[in-house]
Amino acid sequence: MRKLTSAILLSTCLILPVFADEQKPINPILKMATTTSTQDSGLLNELLPAFQKKTGYEVQVTAVGTGKALKLGENGDVDVVLVHARADEDKFVEAGFGDKRYSVMYNDFIFVGPAEDPAKVQDTKTTADALKQIAETKSPFVSRGDDSGTHKMEKKLWEKAGVKPEGEWYREAGQGMGEVLQMSGELKAYTLTDRGTWLATMDKSPLKIVLEGDKTLMNPYGIIAVSQKRYPDVNHAGAQALIEWLVSVEGQKAIGDYKINGQALFTPSADAAEAKPANEPVKTN
Amino acid sequence: MASISSATWQAIQLLISGDPDLWEIILISFRVSLIAIALATPPAILMAFLLAFGNFPGRRLLIAMTNTALAIPAVVVGLTLYLVLSRSGPLGEWRLLFTQTAMIIGQIVLAFPLLVAMAHTALQAADRRAWETARMLGASKIRAIWTLMYEVRFGLMSALLASFGRIIAEVGASMMLGGNILHYTRNIPTAIALETSKGEFAQGIALGLVLLLLAFILNLLLHYFQGKGHIAA
Amino acid sequence: MKQLLFRNLSKHYGKRLLFTDLEVPLTTGQCLLLTGKNGAGKTTLMRILAGLDKPDSGEIQVDQSRYTWRTYRPHLQRQILYLHQQPYLFEGSVWDNLAFALTRGLSRLEQTQQIEEVAAWAGLSALLNNKAKQLSGGEAQRLAMARALLRKPSALLLDEPTANMDHSARLLTLEMLEDLKHQGLMLMVASHDPDWFQAVTNQQIKL
Repeated sequence: MRKLTSAILLSTCLILPVFADEQKPINPILKMATTTSTQDSGLLNELLPAFQKKTGYEVQVTAVGTGKALKLGENGDVDVVLVHARADEDKFVEAGFGDKRYSVMYNDFIFVGPAEDPAKVQDTKTTADALKQIAETKSPFVSRGDDSGTHKMEKKLWEKAGVKPEGEWYREAGQGMGEVLQMSGELKAYTLTDRGTWLATMDKSPLKIVLEGDKTLMNPYGIIAVSQKRYPDVNHAGAQALIEWLVSVEGQKAIGDYKINGQALFTPSADAAEAKPANEPVKTN
Repeated sequence: MASISSATWQAIQLLISGDPDLWEIILISFRVSLIAIALATPPAILMAFLLAFGNFPGRRLLIAMTNTALAIPAVVVGLTLYLVLSRSGPLGEWRLLFTQTAMIIGQIVLAFPLLVAMAHTALQAADRRAWETARMLGASKIRAIWTLMYEVRFGLMSALLASFGRIIAEVGASMMLGGNILHYTRNIPTAIALETSKGEFAQGIALGLVLLLLAFILNLLLHYFQGKGHIAA
Repeated sequence: MKQLLFRNLSKHYGKRLLFTDLEVPLTTGQCLLLTGKNGAGKTTLMRILAGLDKPDSGEIQVDQSRYTWRTYRPHLQRQILYLHQQPYLFEGSVWDNLAFALTRGLSRLEQTQQIEEVAAWAGLSALLNNKAKQLSGGEAQRLAMARALLRKPSALLLDEPTANMDHSARLLTLEMLEDLKHQGLMLMVASHDPDWFQAVTNQQIKL
């Protein structure tokens, strides 16, 4: 009997998520894997309480690199993933680990470096020129080296610049963004960072922005619910509710309103048509 | 997680095939920790000698301090040294942060109290008669120290092995001071932390297996030396 | 140096007085027997004489000159050898233990000669390659005496030298003590069982 009730309630939630906020969720614990950037920038601290107030879901966040976040999803250890590595996200969905990728927002990457700017990156206009200068002058560059979204982005940028970063000057740290920024400050090195982490730590850093605004430096975030077909016990209803809220007008506004030092970190980018996912048939592969 | 067995199998293959990246990390680990032990041992044994046989004010306090130092978490050691070695720290001029030298310094600091404490115990268990006899038979202080060390060599070996085991498996200080830089300061524990965060479990497991094997060998040796130590005593 | 005369020796162990105003004469070619119950301070006294432990007070008369214990201590440590009740033998062979006591700068031939000579004297010639820690009580005591002798000391202080020995081993030890007297050493033997040493004793002190 209990089972039946839950099943009914569950399907109600799925079909009518619009009303979900008026009911207490059956499983109020929602596990999300996300990248360190969303956590470190303070965005989640702003968004999640609003979401919880609205829907009653308590979101437990595991902030790791994009690679690990997707792995956690693949293993069914979390219910939903919020990451930024477009190609991997699509693979994740294609392989059937997730239902559908929703665009949520984007932020941009920037290059920071020592104030003296030995590679004269500030004189360049494009990422490719900047990286070529750094490599030519063999100026120290610290790479995340941890397979995170930022690391993948950085590798792509080197590739586009036609430079193979190798040598004593190129250091693969294998640590999070905050640590890498600290390390770059200590080593007087250049590095690629997301703007959010930079804004949150710039007060303590001896580095400064040397390149920003290039189109190639845009960084889109996507959210994917872990497939219930694959892992029947995931909190799919909760995941769906979170996605629903993030792409809703209300969620999108909250993202756009989030500021550090008066600067917006993320630009909302949800497709307006996706704001009502409940109307779409559940995707089957 | 159905992948645990396949990841382990991959790990074993990585090890056997002599994967150069993997073995480089293992070599860095051993290099750093062996140098640290080699540098920490002579002063630690000297201090253990002073604590065991010296007769000076503050000796008991020093023993208590050594035992307290044993309990200091590795990350606290890492943090303290980070602040000292950082550019804005007192030794910032030396530019040691994120080098193998910084890792070695961190591991020396970690190994030192354990070495002193265990060597102290070993030396205290040594027979006072050994020292007196050596001195009466005309041995210089240095030679008497060597003699006594030889008499308790199994206990001292145990101290070395246990300290080596502690520092080679330690992640906190190595991560903070070395920075986990590929080809340079990435050792076994920091690499495991990284591979796990990347979701690359095979590499992590392979390195974990190396540490396990090492722990097993160190324990066998410890067991052997401690057994020997008892027979000799 | 014919005689070392210790005067005014006193020593407390904690609050307990072990001895006070004690006079101890060590004379060339003579054996002094020290008797007393367990815990009477025999070992402590011998350690003071050998410069290992400090007395509360004490002075030393060497032939006609007088010194305080403190100033004379470095000489004591060279001239007087104390043998622990259970002598400490180092890791390694009997040979290694004897070689430890050799003075520096001897040629290989001299080393071998001295070791073989003293080993023969102590009846250890056949045991030179044996592990020292595996010797019997009597053998260990004889090795300790032989080893001490290589330092060419003026005096030997033996603490209960025949404890844990069988009859024949005790006789052998007595013979060696007799021989040491003839070589002109100052001897002192502590024992709570004095009857055994009456034959070699010239003088006796009771604590």
